[in-house]
Amino acid sequence: MASNADEREAPGCRPEDPREMMKQSWLNDVLPLTACWLVVSSASAVDFENDIRPILRDRCVSCHGPLRQEGDLRLDAGKLILDGGTHAVVVPGQSAASELLRRVRSDDPDVRMPPEGNRISADQIRLLETWIDDGAEIPDEEAVAAPVERHWAFQPIRRPDVPVLNDVEQPVNPIDAFIFARRQSEGLLIPPRAAAEVLLRRVFLDLIGLPPTIAEQDQFSETQNLDQVIADLLQRPEYGERWARHWLDVARYADSNGYERDAEKPFVWRYRDYVIQALNDDKPFDRFVLEQIAGDELPDRSVESWIATGFLRLGHWDDEPADPRTDRYDQLDDIVSTTGQAFLGLTIGCARCHDHKFEPLTAADYYSMVAVFQPLVRPQDGRTERTIPIDGTDVYAWQETSGQPPETFLLKRGSVTNPGPRVFPAVPQILTKAQPEFPSAAVLNDHHHSEGATSRRRLTFARWLVALENPLTARVIVNRIWQQHFGEGLVTTANDFGLMGAPPTHPELLDWLAHWLMHDAGWSLKKLHTLILTSRSWQSVKTADSVIRYRRLEVEAIRDSMLAVSGQLNAQHFGPAMKPPIPQAAIEANTDKERIWQASDDREASRRSIYAFVKRGLIVPMFETLDLADTVSSCAKRQVTTVAPQALCLFNGRLTQQQAGHFAAMLRQQAGDDLREQILLAFRTALCRRPSESELARMQAFLKAESLEELCRVILNLNEFVYPE
Amino acid sequence: MLFPRGDRSPFILNRRQQLLHLGGGFAGLALADLLAGSVVAESSRAGTGPHFVPKAKHCIFLFMNGGPSQVDTFDPKPALTKHHGQPYTGDAVVGSNGRPVGHLMQSPFPFRSHGDSGLEISSLYPNLSAHADELCVIRSMHADTAAHASGCLQMNTGSIFIGKPSLGSWLSYGLGTENQNLPAFVVMPDPRGGPIGSASNWSAGFMPASHQGTLFRSGSAPLLNLSNPEGTSNRTQRRSLDLLQALNAEHLQRRPEESELEARIQSYELAFRMQSAAMNVVDLQQETRETQDMYGLTNPLTADFGRKCLLTRRLIQHGVRFVQLYSGGGHQEETWDGHGDCISNHRLHAGETDQPIAALITDLKRTGLWDETLLVWGGEFGRTPTSEGVNKPGRDHDWHGFSMWLAGAGVRGGQAIGATDELGFAAVEDRCHVSELHATILHLMGIDANRLHFLHQGLNQRLTGVEPRQVVRKALL
Repeated sequence: MASNADEREAPGCRPEDPREMMKQSWLNDVLPLTACWLVVSSASAVDFENDIRPILRDRCVSCHGPLRQEGDLRLDAGKLILDGGTHAVVVPGQSAASELLRRVRSDDPDVRMPPEGNRISADQIRLLETWIDDGAEIPDEEAVAAPVERHWAFQPIRRPDVPVLNDVEQPVNPIDAFIFARRQSEGLLIPPRAAAEVLLRRVFLDLIGLPPTIAEQDQFSETQNLDQVIADLLQRPEYGERWARHWLDVARYADSNGYERDAEKPFVWRYRDYVIQALNDDKPFDRFVLEQIAGDELPDRSVESWIATGFLRLGHWDDEPADPRTDRYDQLDDIVSTTGQAFLGLTIGCARCHDHKFEPLTAADYYSMVAVFQPLVRPQDGRTERTIPIDGTDVYAWQETSGQPPETFLLKRGSVTNPGPRVFPAVPQILTKAQPEFPSAAVLNDHHHSEGATSRRRLTFARWLVALENPLTARVIVNRIWQQHFGEGLVTTANDFGLMGAPPTHPELLDWLAHWLMHDAGWSLKKLHTLILTSRSWQSVKTADSVIRYRRLEVEAIRDSMLAVSGQLNAQHFGPAMKPPIPQAAIEANTDKERIWQASDDREASRRSIYAFVKRGLIVPMFETLDLADTVSSCAKRQVTTVAPQALCLFNGRLTQQQAGHFAAMLRQQAGDDLREQILLAFRTALCRRPSESELARMQAFLKAESLEELCRVILNLNEFVYPE
Repeated sequence: MLFPRGDRSPFILNRRQQLLHLGGGFAGLALADLLAGSVVAESSRAGTGPHFVPKAKHCIFLFMNGGPSQVDTFDPKPALTKHHGQPYTGDAVVGSNGRPVGHLMQSPFPFRSHGDSGLEISSLYPNLSAHADELCVIRSMHADTAAHASGCLQMNTGSIFIGKPSLGSWLSYGLGTENQNLPAFVVMPDPRGGPIGSASNWSAGFMPASHQGTLFRSGSAPLLNLSNPEGTSNRTQRRSLDLLQALNAEHLQRRPEESELEARIQSYELAFRMQSAAMNVVDLQQETRETQDMYGLTNPLTADFGRKCLLTRRLIQHGVRFVQLYSGGGHQEETWDGHGDCISNHRLHAGETDQPIAALITDLKRTGLWDETLLVWGGEFGRTPTSEGVNKPGRDHDWHGFSMWLAGAGVRGGQAIGATDELGFAAVEDRCHVSELHATILHLMGIDANRLHFLHQGLNQRLTGVEPRQVVRKALL
């Protein structure tokens, strides 16, 4: 509803809106037949829902609503209007005595409402007048939005009681208690547990992004111990290589800057490796946050924590900006917006030009956050970016040059030429009762590094982010992890926990998990994974109403699975990025087609996809077609589109053709010349199961006319290959 | 459904048909598209177009990459001849990127009045001049940046920053495609190379990837991965696809409610069908010899752009929504970026494009497509009326004032709107910002630019930005 920023220009019911049209025609068609006497008694009556509420919503509620209550007045619900704050805003039956009418009619600019924009039209004023004179009828039942300070996501995180179930055995896993209780209340059955071999493939693809090998399948069929499999997978380096990519989506990671030169960000891959290592080490999430925001200001800082601050420098950057002064604020905006979404789930970037229209975030909040990052300077030599040498390692990060931090001013309408009042570092007002204490002058961090004096603004900010009282950080990360495991978050807008975001489907469960993560699990993401993966809810069969959803694998997992199945995956970890081959046709569309993309050899290009170079101006076509994350701003969730170019890429593309060849050779080598054995091994390798009799018959018939390579190409394209069961 | 709006299953198609049947008209179509959108649905709180009956169903953007000089093409400046060789003393910032500023330089290409309208066009366009009465030149364009990268981005996406959806993506999102076997948005770069910023210029930005521009080439492989893998016969391809679909169907049977699985099955079938559809479109041999000659296909100078223009007409005929053709690519003099010698540069690039563009107009008219097709011509900015350095016939970037033209459906041709100052530096009359040009293009396509939005990062993003933008009314019929 209020998402329509255009309502200012198109007030009232928009006649071209088909939903409105349907509603109106429904009223016209149905009411005269079914409710004659009601209608007759007020044939010309003005209806609050259809006539009055739209006027108020479009013209009044942004200042007199749940977000702001100018003059202590709210006009977003009938009963609040009749309460009228301190004035007799509406006196039923007496429009002449109603302050509302006096204000909208007034010609006095100090009195007239709304104070800005066009005045309310004569027709609309007549509607208001008629409604009041007819007695100002309001709906009997009416949902009243909680005032903004009671918005769920801004409340302290408390641990709700785990529900006690009736009629079924109380689940051991608290997640199941919450999920089952809800299903019972909605009259839904508890879906059965999926078959063991289904879960094996599911958990491998979920945790490491690769299907289990034949040996791993054999081992599991002996032990049948899924808990042990989960524990083992979490200890494998491939876990970090899969899950780091999810964080890189949130962090808008890329290896180049974009724009004309689209220059490589020197040594930025060390940040990518840092994320992989942090996940593999199960670095507590609060520490992970501290290091990325203020790894250079920590008392126990290290090269590693310094590398982590590369997070702040991952954004796009035009080394030939149209306006250098504005450009500086664009860079700061990238940091503030990404930080706000990644850790707080708030769209603070919208408050750059004016107070946020729909969230309790002001321009002062925004520029106070700008002040936190204002001391950062990009090390550069003209257009060439520089790294910072830390203990002999090139680190791609910003730098605080010592000295007094610069002053920060609120920029009116976001314009550098229009500075407003000075602001000081602060966190968004709505999220705290007491502001953290930001140091007023630079502080010498230690004597180890000569350049050690920094403002410690980021450290102060980061410590507030991960404080146990912060209402958002834990909820936001729990939801991201949940979303990745289940295919859909408890909050479906993972980067937006504000008023405009979706409310949680299971608020108690979300809070229980967030509280548990901080207080019981010590911010350990591996413990959170384990709790989720061992739940019946995650292990259930996938149905139309199960909590766990079908979701296509991300392009990285598709590509890595193909390489794994064909036996070609190069497991080499870490280091500079590789460049997978790109079709010549895609390269020819570039300015510098001779040099823009020097593809790696097949062995190097067969490394896991997280090591593939992300060039903002030239995304590997397979990655782009299969919905790689936006590389410019924080990506809350991968899109899943289903279009024919994906089929062309996976069915006709070079990668599939190559891997089908390797796959076939491997089958011949291990299964010999027996077609049936080849098919059985192919299915087990790719799908972890035996084919059904009819599947087997089809494939045997196919192999009478076509090659094993062709069969392998088909198997790598199956829906089942990319949609884990 | 080759490049669908995320259609997911026949159930959805039925729902769409229902809505159309119910008489939703244009608004109903947009709503149906939203309902059918897989990811588009996430932004379903935003409204898409068309908002009113469109004048044009298709748009062709002839992108003169590098920045053509207005005073040498469509903006005659007699005062330049008078002051030729003198230093410039006006207010405009001259000299991008620290380049040396020379003296005022007259155009070596004489202007003449053409057609009934008397529209003035320079001698660079002998063929196009015959269509003068169709052209609506906007002489008062202005942009926000002096650099190619951000300039191309602004002309294509409305923003000087990367990561925003391009004009074609907005049209694909707002209007969908008419031929599901072809992309809604096609891009044909210059064989010498792409524009600076490459794919950022036809990216779908934060929209689903299905709205991005698709690179098209004339030749045997017009689309990426369109041909069978090497050594795979058509018969084998069909048999493999049949096996794939049979196995997928068996899989789907056990999960009948999963529409994404079904959509994926459909996408393979459509990909196969489209292999022949696209090959058919790019087969220029189906055109008569006379047509091929008209586009200049036999002349090495005009052959490439001519092929692109002819292919464009065929794509439009097959329902493609938006086609963008690049003239110039690679580096400086291979584009319109005439820093060193603007005279030879423009003689080359205008020479390559004049006959093909004129042929395209003639051809659109005789095939009946003219009344439903909008043409846009121009680059990311213009060029200075001064030379770059003394005694050097180059011109530097000028983003304060430059010319573009519109023609075709809904456009009032045979006129020049707005004006630059006496010397041709800056737009002074009826100034038209790039975003106002975008608003005008969308308007002609049936979309109110201020109402076409996509929810991203908590904001309803628009092609034309936060500020409401006016349509160039004088350009409309």
